Amino acid sequence: MAKKKKPIQEVAATTEPLTLEGLHMDDLRSNLEEIKTYDGVIGYILRNSTSAAIDLKDPTKIIDYAILSSSALDASEALSEDFNLGSIRSVIVEGKNVKVLCLTASDNRISVFMDKEVNYEEILTKLHSH
Amino acid sequence: MDNEVYSFALKSALNEIQNICPDIRNSFIFREEGEIVATDENTSEKLVVHVMDSFDGVFEKADAIGGVESIILEGSKGRVNMSCINDLYLVTVTSRKADTNYVNTVTQVLIPTILRLLEKIHPAPLKSKTPSREAEIDVPALNETEEPLMEEPEETPETETVPSELPVNQLIIENLGGLLVPSDTVRIDSETLSEWEEFSEGAKIEEVEVETFNGKITRCNVKPVKDSKYEGKGIIRMPEKIQLNLEVKKGELVRVRPIVD
Repeated sequence: MAKKKKPIQEVAATTEPLTLEGLHMDDLRSNLEEIKTYDGVIGYILRNSTSAAIDLKDPTKIIDYAILSSSALDASEALSEDFNLGSIRSVIVEGKNVKVLCLTASDNRISVFMDKEVNYEEILTKLHSH
Repeated sequence: MDNEVYSFALKSALNEIQNICPDIRNSFIFREEGEIVATDENTSEKLVVHVMDSFDGVFEKADAIGGVESIILEGSKGRVNMSCINDLYLVTVTSRKADTNYVNTVTQVLIPTILRLLEKIHPAPLKSKTPSREAEIDVPALNETEEPLMEEPEETPETETVPSELPVNQLIIENLGGLLVPSDTVRIDSETLSEWEEFSEGAKIEEVEVETFNGKITRCNVKPVKDSKYEGKGIIRMPEKIQLNLEVKKGELVRVRPIVD
């Protein structure tokens, strides 16, 4: 099912400012590289309209994880419209073994995969603190 | 207790929860295969269907993380929390100022308690919207009239994994395509899947064996069809890759057996 994407300008106009906005892809990537060293963090996907950076411990899961995180972010946009949630700060999809933290900053889509026991708030705070 | 009463009990519970947690704006319960179990009075079924459609892609790829146990979506004006309770998904939408601990405590305690109560009162809660399912099992002849494409159990070839009493269905191939469609998964009428699950004493059917009339056999994952226009028509939606492997195409008949591990 094709989902209507919210234009970036609209997001910027209606949302609280995210500290991630304006960060360069390289800054984000180095930030994520640091996060990847945290205990229990499995890897990350950083993607925008022109490039992508993927670092996952298990490369066989890249496609599944990429589709999963993309679907989660698409769903969050649709639900935000359905329920008037405003800008989406984060989406957490928790499975039996792994959970994924997804967020959008400007046109960057970030997903961090981690073991279920990991405290994602710490990672979210770290991402927002830069 | 029939499904309507079951749904009514849950709907009442959702409304009562909203009374004690006014910060809950919407709440509803659904199954992954697309069945709406209950909604509160603020939430339309159309809205729930849209939410389920939105989560489709997540459910499709959730095997990679061991299935979906919960989804938390934080927005600047509100929050959505979806949690898995048994085989049901409870969704609550709250305002930003809501005390999430309080809301979670109430919902995560009350709803499971009510579900357990309903299970005790009626041990076979709404598995399907067909109340006469047990009667069909007791009287195999009914299958011939209600599902002409199903073979008689006596003709079912035995396999190592399938008990002899499990049915074999003859289904017509329909194409299944799309960007996010897994190439190893076919889709079958949810009613057929429910029927197989009942025949296999509640075991979840996640795989099937598909056999062509030329004797080619493959084993693949199975999920319920999403599009209601394919429901009840004896159709199996099949990705192109599986069709190529089996050397079959749209419109042809195949035999499909559930695999019970």
